[in-house]
Amino acid sequence: MSDFGGMEDLLQDFLTESSELLSEVDNKLVELEKRPDDRALLNDIFRGFHTIKGGAGFLNVDPMVSLCHRTENLFDKLRNGEITLTPEIMDAILAATGVVRDMFGALSQGRQPIPADPELLHALDNVLEGKPALSDAPLVEHVHAPAAPVQAAAPASKPVPAPGTPDWDLLYNSLLGKEPPAPAHTQPAISPEPIIEHAPVHIPQVAPVSAPVIADPMQTLKPAPAAPLNKPATSSQQLAAPETTIRIDTVRLDQVLNLSGEIGLTKNRLTTLRTDIMAGKMDGSTLKALDEAIGQLDLLVGDLQNAVMKTRMQPIGRLFQKYPRLARDLARQLGKDVELVISGEETELDKTMLEDLNDPLVHLVRNAVDHGIETAEERAVSGKPSKAVVELSATQVGDHILIEITDDGRGMRPDVIRRKAIEKGLIDIETANSLDDKQSLQLIFLPGFSTKDQISSVSGRGVGMDVVKTNIQRLNGRIDIQSVVGEGSRFTISLPLTLAILPVLVVKVCDQPFAVPLAMVREIITIRQEQVQEVSGRATIVVRDEILSVRSLAHLIGWQETQLPQFGVLMQSAEHSFILAVDSFIGRDDVVIKPLQNIRPRGIAGATLSGDGSIVLVLDMEDLLASAHADNSAIMTSRLVEQF
Amino acid sequence: MNDQNMRFLVVDDFSTMRRIVRNLLKELGYSNVDEAEDGQVALHKLKNGVFDFVVTDWNMPNMTGIELLRQIRADAQLKHLPVLMVTAEAKKENIIEAATAGANGYIVKPFTAATLDEKLKKIFSNMAK
Repeated sequence: MSDFGGMEDLLQDFLTESSELLSEVDNKLVELEKRPDDRALLNDIFRGFHTIKGGAGFLNVDPMVSLCHRTENLFDKLRNGEITLTPEIMDAILAATGVVRDMFGALSQGRQPIPADPELLHALDNVLEGKPALSDAPLVEHVHAPAAPVQAAAPASKPVPAPGTPDWDLLYNSLLGKEPPAPAHTQPAISPEPIIEHAPVHIPQVAPVSAPVIADPMQTLKPAPAAPLNKPATSSQQLAAPETTIRIDTVRLDQVLNLSGEIGLTKNRLTTLRTDIMAGKMDGSTLKALDEAIGQLDLLVGDLQNAVMKTRMQPIGRLFQKYPRLARDLARQLGKDVELVISGEETELDKTMLEDLNDPLVHLVRNAVDHGIETAEERAVSGKPSKAVVELSATQVGDHILIEITDDGRGMRPDVIRRKAIEKGLIDIETANSLDDKQSLQLIFLPGFSTKDQISSVSGRGVGMDVVKTNIQRLNGRIDIQSVVGEGSRFTISLPLTLAILPVLVVKVCDQPFAVPLAMVREIITIRQEQVQEVSGRATIVVRDEILSVRSLAHLIGWQETQLPQFGVLMQSAEHSFILAVDSFIGRDDVVIKPLQNIRPRGIAGATLSGDGSIVLVLDMEDLLASAHADNSAIMTSRLVEQF
Repeated sequence: MNDQNMRFLVVDDFSTMRRIVRNLLKELGYSNVDEAEDGQVALHKLKNGVFDFVVTDWNMPNMTGIELLRQIRADAQLKHLPVLMVTAEAKKENIIEAATAGANGYIVKPFTAATLDEKLKKIFSNMAK
């Protein structure tokens, strides 16, 4: 049973909105470390906690209210200059945002979150009182302290207002009403009496002295170890269910509405023209009008597709903004000084892709900080600045999005990677020797490869670079590596703008058209029989010194060839490049893939309609190759070699 | 003046909060509600539309609730508009600041529909005097 019966809708809204807010707060905290006196930042962070607290109050999420109340007060004092930011305080605050995030996790599963660790609350209270965050303050003082500002600020018993000044009490009462403020929800600060008397009644609500602290004096008196405050937020991040709602700018929605309206008008025009034409009116001006109307419809439909696609587009900054905090925590844990520089946050990407991109990016950022960046000593020896820089950028290039993760670390050594791959039995020596440096770097994407012998608790969490690559490929994307030893590495991810529309190359085999994803196509070559050579039982062609195996599409789908393939499509697939032999081409096209209902032929991603209304099957090359391998590919290739 | 068709403007930068307030108003039978995400947007809407009541948050970017209140009171067209401040700031100095700026009421988050109803009734009765 959910603890939030009847409020699920509201809760969902709250979670979506406040998670975004918390990510912003997290980011601003990382900024704040650089500019601790920036008042605008302090203000923004204050407001962030304040807003979350306000929402949590309505949803009766008391543990969150009590925690955010403290952080909010803390930032109030920070922005007023009453306390200054120290690394200790920063740790406590960062720990607090981690806990708030955990609480969001619990809420998204419909549970009331558990109250924050009393030690954390205690540390925050200490900071609020101007004491060192981790001192073990006596409990009594601790309970009394929050009452102090109230008494100071509430000269409630002042009998007569001084002449000439407004009667504050009268004003006060006129606003609040004569009766005592609504009991259950009143903030203690309003009440003129000492807080302590109220505490037992108010505990579950907003009393600054939260229940756990009082209930567990032993816990509070224990000196708080620094360790739990330093734990990285991500380790405790609970994976919430993927969001099923989306927030759309109304301007974009209006565009869709406008365009559909215009399409409606054009349709009316066409209907009229049809009536004319059916009635035999086929003169020049009618046909010209028809041509115009169709031209316009063409334009409008294209615009509409774009506009609808745009409603799914979200700035990648929503993803990026989580990473500075991640990089900072990890760097601190490893004793490194790393700055994550982010650019191109405004670049937009399909929402579903954005979600699926998170894991790979987290992995790459962690990887860069953990493996890419050297230790402080190593950097000093090689004469590099002690502060390492990891850059994360996004740009739109044509109909693709490029995401780059660049570090200025030690770079990757192809020879070391080759050796490791051999040691781990991933490749044999012969293969290793045939690989150039660029290809060697690709070895890190093999399942079971990890450049560190000892898996560190940081990067080695059971997911390897192979998973990163698989995830990127699932999004029809590609990942490439560039690395210069001693200077750093760069991972480049190239992604299509959306998954809804797929650019394809339409090829023909046995008079049947097939579409292959254009993202995989490197180039198109003609196949001349004399070029085909047999290398270890496989048909191959040498293209610019690269030996590429030739796979006949007809064979891959299990058909008999009706003619010798004329053309080869040089395909870049996950692990290797190869030449797909086909009969002829039709051309490139942007298609919308429709999944096939009830049947799932191997190697077929779905179907689409071509311009003349015929059905074109869209090939899933990975699947096709995998199934071909399973079908004893040796026989297939030898047959192919025989044919050539 | 206490009329179910009264047009409310709910001002808050947190859309969840706007929705909460809107729901509470609806519970009380007021369903003619518009929203604004900060003081600036609110002021613009107020100047370009007809509203009977403003419910505003205090702490917002661009223009705070208290600044909005001051602007409303300084505007010849709007100065009679009732304004209810909704905030989590429960410090006495805040309440006094709101009062001197001319707030008709002050309500501390979180609150229930009943509390809101009470505040609204009080404001209506004060205005009728």
